[in-house]
Amino acid sequence: MSETLAAALAPLAEVAEDPDAYVVRWKERTGGKVVGAFPMSFPGEIAHAAGALPVVIQENREPDTHGRNLLAEFYCGYTRNIADSAAKGNLDIYDGFFLADHCIQLLGAVDVVRFESPEKPMYFGHLPTSLGDSWTPEDARKMMRSFVDEMGEFAGAPVTPEALAHSIAVFNENRRLLREIFEARRSGNAQFTAEQMQVLVKSSMVMDKAEHTRLLRRVIAEAAEVPRDDRVRLYLSGHFSHAPKPELLRAIEDCGALVVDDDLFTGMRYISTDVPEDVDAVDALRDWYLQRDVNLPCATLVQHEADWEDYLLNSIDRSGAQGVIVLLVKFCEPHMLYYPELRKALDERGVPHLLIETEHEGVPEENVRTRVEALVERIRRNQLVRS
Amino acid sequence: MSTPVMDKTRRLEVNKAGSKMISDYWDGVFNARERGDQVVWYNGQALNPIFQAAGLVWCHGEAFSARLAAQHLEVPAQQAGEEYGYLGELCSYSRTHLGCAVLTQKSRQGEATGIVGMPEQEQLASKLPAPDFFVNAYSGCSTGQQWDDISFRVFGKELPMFNVSLPFLWGNKPDSGYLVGEEWEQTSLHVEDQLYKLIDFIEHQTGRPFDWDALRQNMAYIKRASELRREAMALCALTPAPATFWDWISSIAHINFLPASQELVDFFAAVKAEVERRVAEGISGVQNERYRLYFDGIMNWNKLGWLAKKFAAHDVAVIAGRYTHHAFWQEPHMIDPENPIPGMAKHYLLCPTNHGTKTIQNLVLGDCEKYGVDGIVFHSTRTCRAFTNPQQLVAKAAQRDLGIPSIFFEGDVADASFYKDEILESRLVAMLEGIDSRRSRDVTG
Repeated sequence: MSETLAAALAPLAEVAEDPDAYVVRWKERTGGKVVGAFPMSFPGEIAHAAGALPVVIQENREPDTHGRNLLAEFYCGYTRNIADSAAKGNLDIYDGFFLADHCIQLLGAVDVVRFESPEKPMYFGHLPTSLGDSWTPEDARKMMRSFVDEMGEFAGAPVTPEALAHSIAVFNENRRLLREIFEARRSGNAQFTAEQMQVLVKSSMVMDKAEHTRLLRRVIAEAAEVPRDDRVRLYLSGHFSHAPKPELLRAIEDCGALVVDDDLFTGMRYISTDVPEDVDAVDALRDWYLQRDVNLPCATLVQHEADWEDYLLNSIDRSGAQGVIVLLVKFCEPHMLYYPELRKALDERGVPHLLIETEHEGVPEENVRTRVEALVERIRRNQLVRS
Repeated sequence: MSTPVMDKTRRLEVNKAGSKMISDYWDGVFNARERGDQVVWYNGQALNPIFQAAGLVWCHGEAFSARLAAQHLEVPAQQAGEEYGYLGELCSYSRTHLGCAVLTQKSRQGEATGIVGMPEQEQLASKLPAPDFFVNAYSGCSTGQQWDDISFRVFGKELPMFNVSLPFLWGNKPDSGYLVGEEWEQTSLHVEDQLYKLIDFIEHQTGRPFDWDALRQNMAYIKRASELRREAMALCALTPAPATFWDWISSIAHINFLPASQELVDFFAAVKAEVERRVAEGISGVQNERYRLYFDGIMNWNKLGWLAKKFAAHDVAVIAGRYTHHAFWQEPHMIDPENPIPGMAKHYLLCPTNHGTKTIQNLVLGDCEKYGVDGIVFHSTRTCRAFTNPQQLVAKAAQRDLGIPSIFFEGDVADASFYKDEILESRLVAMLEGIDSRRSRDVTG
């Protein structure tokens, strides 16, 4: 990587490494309010249109301590870390919280936040999760309307349609730029490591979007075409709600592999879908919500016509991936339920794959290396047999 | 594993007749195909009065998993599920039921299961008739809806499914509360609308007009059965308690999914009569009641009898619980048999996992005062996050607001491997010693 590209990436990497510091600086700089948004479906455009900074709350790097007696141990690393952050006061930097997802573990964690910060505005809107019903679009539209109204109350002034339309355009632009980079990686450009790709998305979840877009353009301007070499091409699948640890991504690529595509939340899932700009803004946000599951099916939603396994197989074809690593957040029930369907589809197609469960408290790197090396070796051996 | 030294329980005699009613019901499910009946698999709330009125045979997923666990017959289904790819940390209700789905599907296709060693048990786990369609009505827990979506996939993506959307009662508006407030009223109307749509769907599936008179009759039976159940429960506030939490656990199937009928009403009339008789004769639910505890947690079905004996062995009457006392048509005054849908919709929202912590805290602490308990036992139910969500916060509130101590013990709804008897034993003994110590301070102070 060139020095100029490294320099362009540096401010984004800094935010990805310490999102809280960015939030504090933004507040000092602007005097604005910050909305803590919980993954995965709250549309940040609404907070942006209200003049606030929407931040997808990130898992932090601290060991869980104070919060361990607020949520049972069999919750996913993200939710336990949210409870811990609430107990430690780390979430005090947020002025209010919005939640759109019905994940039962997340509801428990957010209830802890409400318990620890009862004075903070806290809104949960239950978006319909059964997407194939004839009444779903109207139900989803009503919920988006309520998000807009609640945000107006939070901000102290109604969110105007014009502001919402502007924010939608700003967010779309950011998503489009990120998708360009993802498409380049899928098509053969090996410029960015998996860790760097995560930096690009994670920083977008935290930063002011216009600022992020400016920095992202610099990154794109400095980037060069780097053709794929003969490293084994892998696809990363899964990992809802929060980012896999960077050291895990590093360990995977250290084993002689190159990540060429993903459907991670802190990855393609977050940027998969734009909000339409040619219809009423609330309708557009509704359409965005419904279309995301079509573009990239999600195990947390029910829609019989959308099959994650089909999407995965198509993505493998498009990216030329030779194997799949399923990153499963330990205790994530939607993913645990769906995993056998993915496994069946991969087995039937003869795609080598590996399941790795992740937790908050560190990464067993040597264990991961051994397993990834075995996967890479298996793929190489298959290549030799075929050739 | 240590064992309780002697059985000091005095379970209600009527439970024996109740057990037969449950067996008869499941036999009817197993034989549905021979009678040419249509079968619906459903999860979550008690939609069975609707299915009954529509002339369907109904199989409740959690109930069948619970039954297998209570009979210690869950392993073949869980092994089939594991072989299929479900991890052990997945909700054991769903894991067991999906294992049954795998076995049922294989049985339907006439294939060998690949699991050896337990043919008789396997036969029971695979005995469910394959569904003609699915209905999901899960409140509180997000897992239920996803579980049914996967069942749809296990059965080859060809069976119709209807999802009743039951929004979570977050309780954040200034006027929010139990049975009150704008959120409650609006959400109830939303669910009513869903139920009418469900009935349209069922009419389409059965090809018959829905029998509204039958539904009204069913809800009249259920309303009366529930009134009798609640009246009998209220008598257990007396000291000593004439019956315990374990008796109410034994009759959950009846109020939750057995057919609405005069027999159901008669059963709960018999329950109440036996409780009244015990009050009159001074008979307690456990011998020598010295402590009164509240049980918060979904039931560990593998350990029903075991836990009943264990607590009784320590002279503990477990008086009430969130699972038994805040679910299953628990507000019969809301049921209007002439206009049944509104009261049904409201009940489907009242699952004890469908409230934010503030409401649950109010319900549990209210019970603690009503039943005069000395402490709370939290069943930290390993694969049921819906029930465990608020437990730590409720424990803190109980200590802070009422001065009531709590203990947690580990277990699961349908997976025996998570239960650690020594942990429960040592924590229970420590809590009871603490209660003794507090009592002696109160006396001497």
